[in-house]
Amino acid sequence: MTDQPTTAEADESTELSALEQYASDLTDRLGATGYDVEFDTVRVFVELDKWVETIVAAREDLELFSWLSAIDWSKTTEVGEGVADPDSLVERFEVLCRLSSVREHNADAAIFVAVLDRSEPSIASLTEFIGGAAWHEREAHEMFGIDFVGNDNLIPLYLPDAFVGNPLLKSYPLIAREVKPWPGDVDVEPMPEPDQEPAADGGAS
Amino acid sequence: MMHRSEVAVSVELQTPDMTINIGPQHPSTHGVLRLIANLDGERIRDVEPVIGYMHRGYEKLSEVRTYAQITALVNRIDWVSGFANEVPFILGVEKLLGIEVPERAQWIRLILSELARISSHLVFMSSYPLELGATTPLMHTLREREYVLELIESVTGGRFHPNFTRVGGVKPNYGGGSQTKKQSMDLPAGFFKQTLETMDRVDQICDDLDTLVTGNEVIMMRTQGVGVIPADKALEYGLTGPNLRASGVDYDLRRDDPYLTYDQIDFNVVTRDTGDCYARYVVRQDEIRESANIIRQAIDMIPAGPLMAKVPRVLKAPPGQVYTRAENPKGEFGYYLVSEGGKMPYRLKIRSTSFSNLTILPWILPGQLVPDLVAILGSLDFVLGDVDR
Amino acid sequence: MNFWLLLVIQVVVMLALVLTFSLVVIYVELKAGSHMQGRIGPYYAGGKYGWAAPLADAAKFLQKEDLAPAKADRTVFGLAPYVVMMSTLAVFVVIPLGPDLVVVNLDLGVYFVLAISSLSVLGVLMAGWSSANKYSLLGGLRAAAQLIAYELPLVLAVLAVVIQAGTMSLNGIVEAQNDVWFTVGSFDVSLPFIFRGQIIGFVIFMIAAVAELSRIPFDMPIAESELTMGYLTEYSGIRFTMFFLGEYASLIGLSAIAATIFLGGYGFPGVSGDMANYLGPFILFGKIAILAFFIIWIRWTWPRVREDQLQSLAWTWLIPIALANIFVIAVLKVVL
Repeated sequence: MTDQPTTAEADESTELSALEQYASDLTDRLGATGYDVEFDTVRVFVELDKWVETIVAAREDLELFSWLSAIDWSKTTEVGEGVADPDSLVERFEVLCRLSSVREHNADAAIFVAVLDRSEPSIASLTEFIGGAAWHEREAHEMFGIDFVGNDNLIPLYLPDAFVGNPLLKSYPLIAREVKPWPGDVDVEPMPEPDQEPAADGGAS
Repeated sequence: MMHRSEVAVSVELQTPDMTINIGPQHPSTHGVLRLIANLDGERIRDVEPVIGYMHRGYEKLSEVRTYAQITALVNRIDWVSGFANEVPFILGVEKLLGIEVPERAQWIRLILSELARISSHLVFMSSYPLELGATTPLMHTLREREYVLELIESVTGGRFHPNFTRVGGVKPNYGGGSQTKKQSMDLPAGFFKQTLETMDRVDQICDDLDTLVTGNEVIMMRTQGVGVIPADKALEYGLTGPNLRASGVDYDLRRDDPYLTYDQIDFNVVTRDTGDCYARYVVRQDEIRESANIIRQAIDMIPAGPLMAKVPRVLKAPPGQVYTRAENPKGEFGYYLVSEGGKMPYRLKIRSTSFSNLTILPWILPGQLVPDLVAILGSLDFVLGDVDR
Repeated sequence: MNFWLLLVIQVVVMLALVLTFSLVVIYVELKAGSHMQGRIGPYYAGGKYGWAAPLADAAKFLQKEDLAPAKADRTVFGLAPYVVMMSTLAVFVVIPLGPDLVVVNLDLGVYFVLAISSLSVLGVLMAGWSSANKYSLLGGLRAAAQLIAYELPLVLAVLAVVIQAGTMSLNGIVEAQNDVWFTVGSFDVSLPFIFRGQIIGFVIFMIAAVAELSRIPFDMPIAESELTMGYLTEYSGIRFTMFFLGEYASLIGLSAIAATIFLGGYGFPGVSGDMANYLGPFILFGKIAILAFFIIWIRWTWPRVREDQLQSLAWTWLIPIALANIFVIAVLKVVL
C-alpha cells in the first residue's frame, strides 16, 4: 500500500503520480493486466477468467463494495451522440466493479474493469463472496443482457414482467423520443455575459 | 384400509406458513416497496423485496440530456434531500472540464448540502417514531423542517428540487429588470442571520426529541438489539453513511475524501458500535447537531466573491471517465460519468445510496418479527426514488 | 311504577349518558391531542372550537355504504361489532352514580363487570377471522393474546380491592371508602382506597385497562403503521361506528370502574345524604374525566410496545406484582 496520502496540499503533478503509483502497485499485487488513471479515478483492467479471485483479493484492502455495473461500447447508437470515433472503436461490454477503502483519512479506491465479448456476454458472479452484488448483477443483467454465471436469481429487478429487451443497450431506442422527436438545441441558451441584459423571460429556461 | 392400530399420527404440530404482501401501498414502507413475506405466525421465514415501481430510467435519460439539463433531472432521485443529489454530478463535470470554481460558490454549495442533510434527517426523525407508534414527534419535527425548507427556498427558489448548481458555480440570481439584477446577484439579504436562528431552532428540536423519543424506555425496548448489522456484513453489502457509521466503521467522505471546502471545517464524525436500530437512530440525531455546527462555521468563513466561473457557452466535456462521490444524507452518492467529448454523456452510472442500503434486506429480515421488520426498514432510511432511479 | 318500565327508562338514560360522554371524550382526544402536537385540531365543525366534530363524524359514518369483503363470513362479520358493543355497554348497569342512582345494585357487581367485559375478546376474534384478510387475522390473533393476557392483572388488582372492602357490590365498595377511617379531633377522615394502600393496585389496573382498550402503547392489534387498522381494516360505516364508539365507551367504562373502586366513586369529603344523589354523578364524571385525560395523554406521547414485550410485561411483571399486592392487602386486612 502506498504511504503517500493524496492530501490537498500536494501540488498537481505529485498528487497525480501518487495515485498512479498506487494504481500500479495495486495492479502488480493483484496480477491484473493494466491500469488507467485519469481525473483522479483509478481503473484496473482484469482478465475475464480471474474476475472473482481478483476482486476477492482486492477486498482484503478495499473493503467496501460500492457498486457493479456495465458499459455498452457500440459503434452505432439509437440514442444520444455515441462515441467520438466509431471507426476505431472495439465493440465490447465492460463490467465495472468499484471497491473503496474505509480507513480513516484514506480515499483509496479502484474500479475494476473486465472486458466482455459482445456476442456472448458472460462473466462469473460475485454473489458467493459478496452478498451485496446480487442486486447489482440483476440490474446489469436486465439492462444489458449480461449473464452472470452463478447468480441463480437473475430475474428482472426494475422492469415489469412483460418487458422485452435490455433498455440500456445503445441499440435500444428511447420510446419517448420516438413518440415526440427531440426539438434540437432550441432550449439550450448560452449564459449571459455579466454586463449583458438578461433575456426577456428572465432567463427562465 | 389400515387398521386403527397401524395409523401413524404425526407428533409435530403442523402450522402452515402464511404468505402476505407488505406493500406496495403500506404506511411504513417509505414509498412503493413491496415485500413478499413468508410468515410463520409473526416470524418472517423468507422475504423477497420487489422494487422498480418508481423506475424512471435516469441512466438512459441522461444519455440524451446536456449537462445542464441533467442537473434538473437529478434533483429528483432522492427527493428528501434535493440539493445533495446535484453536487457530485456537478463536481464530476467540473473535473472533466478542468474548471476552477470560485470559493464563495463552493461555500454556498456546502451550506446548502448541510441544510439538505438537516432536512433529510429531520424527515427521518419524524417518520421513524411514527412507525413505532409515537405520533407526536412527527408534527413538531416537520414544523422545524419547514424553517429549513424556507431557507433553502429563499436561496434557490425550490424547497425540494432546488436545481441550483450550475457548471462552474451556483446560479446567480437574475430577475427581470436591471434593479433586480443589481440587488439579487448574490444570496438574499438576511440569509445568514436567518440561518443562524434556524440552526438554534434545530438544536432545540434535537434537545426536545432527546427527551421525548431517544430516552423513552419503549423506544429503547423496540430498537435496541433489533436488526444488528455487523461491520463486515455492512461493508460486504455496500452500506454507507449513517448505517455504516452505526455499525462501528469510522468513515465519512467529508473528512476522508474531502470535496467542496470540507477540509477547512472542523467537525466530528458520529459513530456507534452496536449496529442496531437504536444506533442508527442516534447517529442521525447527532449528525443534525454536527451539521448545525458546520453551517455556523461556514457562515463565519465564507469569503466574498463571484458565484460563477467563466464557462464556455456550449458545454462539451472532453473525453474521459470520472467517478465523483459525496456524502449524501443517506450515504455515499456517486456518479460515474463516461464522456466521449459531446454535449451529453455517453453513459452516466448513478451509484444511489438507498439501492445499496436496501441490498441487505434479504440477509437481515429472515428471522425477524413483523413489528421488527417495520423498525428495521425505518432505520435504514431509504427513499424509493433513490432505490429505483 | 311498573318495574319493567322503570328499568327501561333507567337503561335508556344510562345509555344516553354514556354515549354523550363518549362523544365528549372523542372530542377531547381530538382537540387535546392536536394541541399536544402543536396543531389546532377540529376547527370548523359547529362553530368556533369544532365541538360538533364527533357528531359530524358519526353522521358521516352512518350514511356510508355497507361494505363487506366478498370472501368474508357475513354472519360473523356482521355480529362482531355488536358483540363488542354489548359487552362494553353492559358494564354500565352496575356503576353507581349516587347512593340510589344505579340501574341494578348487584351483590356481585365487580364479578359481573369483569365477566361481561371480557366477552369483548370474542368480538375482536370474530372480527379478525371473518374479514378474510391476512392483516386482519394477524391483528385479531395479536388482540386475542393481548386481551387474554391482560385480563389477569385487571382481575387481580380488583380482587385486592374486594378483599379490602369486604364486598363485591360496587355500591358497597364506594360506601366502604366513604366510611370513616380515622378521626382527627372531631374531623372524620375518609379516604378513597388509592390512598389506603391500593396505589400499586391502581397503577396495575390502569396499565391493564389501557391494554384492554388496545390503545397506544398497547395497540399492537391495531398497529396503524404496520397492519393498517388490524382487525378493523375491513369495517366501514355503521359497523365501524359501533367499534369506534365501543372503544370510547369502554374507555369510560374502565375509567368508571377505576374511579369507583380506587378513587371513591361518587363520594367526596363533605358530601353526604341527599346531596350525594344530586352531586354524585358530577363527582363521578369529574373523576372519570381525569382518568380519561391521562389515558389520552399517554396515547399521544408514547410509542407502541411490541407483542412479545407486551406479553412479558404482563406475565413476568404485572401478575407477580398483583399477586404480591393481594397478599399484602390480605395480611393488612386481617392484622389491622
